[in-house]
Amino acid sequence: MTIKEKGYAHWDGEFLDKKLPWWPITRYGIKLTFRKKFFKLFFPMSLLPAVVFLAGIYVSERLEDFKFLFRDSVPILQIDPAYFKTYLTEGFLLFIMVIAVIFCGSGLISDDLKHNSLQLYFSRPLKKRDYFLGKTAVIVFFLFLLTLVPGLVFFIMKMIFAGSFKFFLSYPWLPLSVIAYSVLVTAFFSFYALFISSLNKNRRYVAILIFGIYVGSDILREIFYDIFHNHYFSLLSIRGNIQQVGAAIFDQKTPYPIHWILSLLVLTAICVLAWFVLKKKVRGVEIVK
Amino acid sequence: MSIKVSDIHFSYGKIKALDGVSLDLPQGAIGLLGPNGAGKSTLIRIMLGFLSLDRGEGRILGYDIKTQQEEIRRYVGYMPEDDCFIPELDAVSFTSYLGELSGMPRQEAMKRAHEALYYVGLEESRYRKVETYSGGMKQRLKLAQAIVHDPRLIFLDEPTSGLDPQGRTEILDLIMDISRKKDIQVLISSHILPDIELTCSYVVILNKGLLAAQGEISKLKEIRDLYELKIKGEAQGFLRKLEEMKCRLEETEDGLLKVYTPPGYNRQEFFRIAAEENVQLRHFIKSQSSLEDLFADAVGVD
Repeated sequence: MTIKEKGYAHWDGEFLDKKLPWWPITRYGIKLTFRKKFFKLFFPMSLLPAVVFLAGIYVSERLEDFKFLFRDSVPILQIDPAYFKTYLTEGFLLFIMVIAVIFCGSGLISDDLKHNSLQLYFSRPLKKRDYFLGKTAVIVFFLFLLTLVPGLVFFIMKMIFAGSFKFFLSYPWLPLSVIAYSVLVTAFFSFYALFISSLNKNRRYVAILIFGIYVGSDILREIFYDIFHNHYFSLLSIRGNIQQVGAAIFDQKTPYPIHWILSLLVLTAICVLAWFVLKKKVRGVEIVK
Repeated sequence: MSIKVSDIHFSYGKIKALDGVSLDLPQGAIGLLGPNGAGKSTLIRIMLGFLSLDRGEGRILGYDIKTQQEEIRRYVGYMPEDDCFIPELDAVSFTSYLGELSGMPRQEAMKRAHEALYYVGLEESRYRKVETYSGGMKQRLKLAQAIVHDPRLIFLDEPTSGLDPQGRTEILDLIMDISRKKDIQVLISSHILPDIELTCSYVVILNKGLLAAQGEISKLKEIRDLYELKIKGEAQGFLRKLEEMKCRLEETEDGLLKVYTPPGYNRQEFFRIAAEENVQLRHFIKSQSSLEDLFADAVGVD
């Protein structure tokens, strides 16, 4: 059958006046992430810490039932803001978040640069803002599953296991802290991943950079601290800065004796830098001057 | 008029890409011609809102190119010159995804994606990942994504580049079908002149960012008459006098002299000059100028 005989019919539908024009980008981004073989393996494992911490909350309410597990005295497992802070800001979860970001974020822009697909996006009725929102929301989805969702679930389950609102009345601000911290850390990692993703067309290099800069910044802090014994070098570490701000948000002692505002400023500066680079790198057409 | 721009200026740094281009284009298939670096792709990118104008104004399908870019992009299809796709998607998902981004409802986009792929002849391989496609299939896929949302105007940037002769013919067939039977206006940017001559009735020629010529191909061809001559004798004086009369001369390998005469030129002049210069005219035919001649004339190359 020749091409012409197949016919072409005009579409008689109507375009939607979409309030979320970026949503298809997010949906496809999430879908493509779940198609990755290793991510299918990694994702359930990434939720293990949350399950362990949730079990801890359950055990804390049923310590008497678990007496047989302990030889001498029953340990005190206290569920308080420190417990939430431990889950959300400790190195293991941040490490898992970095790996999740590598899976879902490394190719978000680099693939579009490599395959010249930015012009396909921007030849559609999309603003640059929509493109960024769509891409960012992919990272937000996965990071919220690791931070916001478990944090709020812990809070709710604590009250359900306790059968009272005592915990809520003791720490009414805690859900807000969970939300604030999750938003902050997710926003940071989103900017961080998109920024690096926009720097190279090869997603493997991007993945190495995302991981390398995160780990490297920590190593750099250790080296400088060992040489100069100055805590201000903790500002060089991404992990250190997130933990500083996290501790402040959960009203806990900060891990380094410097003001947490400085760490917040460092994280904000990285986000601002990322934004400027993204704005410059992402456009419908590559301009060679 | 669906494309109307006036006094468009655009520069890449110090290099002027478009310098005061004004167009008022009719319906149908329009060819955008010019040598490399003439400003063809830049003009399309400006009309799509990828690039902001330095100066000038314009309307595409009645929408302002400065302030209503989203509306323009909703009703315009764009087939880029470069290979471009979204990896890890099959052709149906790819096409439907771009339909959704144009504002189509999800299910409608999927339905249209199947139809568009069927139309461009990719129905057999629509579930294959796009990165496994050959060059010709990618061209068809780019056309499918450009028509998935049923645009009123399509910009095709070098649609036949990198295709084998059969692939080229098939793409040109599709373009002609779209522009002649489907009531969709098509603007084709190309430097392959036979493609333009085959598919378009109207042409715009850009050269070094300037508008070199525009109009119906048939009428533009009439502006300069072409004569084919063979002469015997001392040609130098004869040729010099023709050039003085603003004729453009081309000599072929087999000794045939092609003379493009300016408007209003009286062909009796050939005989008068030949007599003056003591040259014999052995062959004298009024010939049909081609788009190639018109292009060469407009951009000033042989």
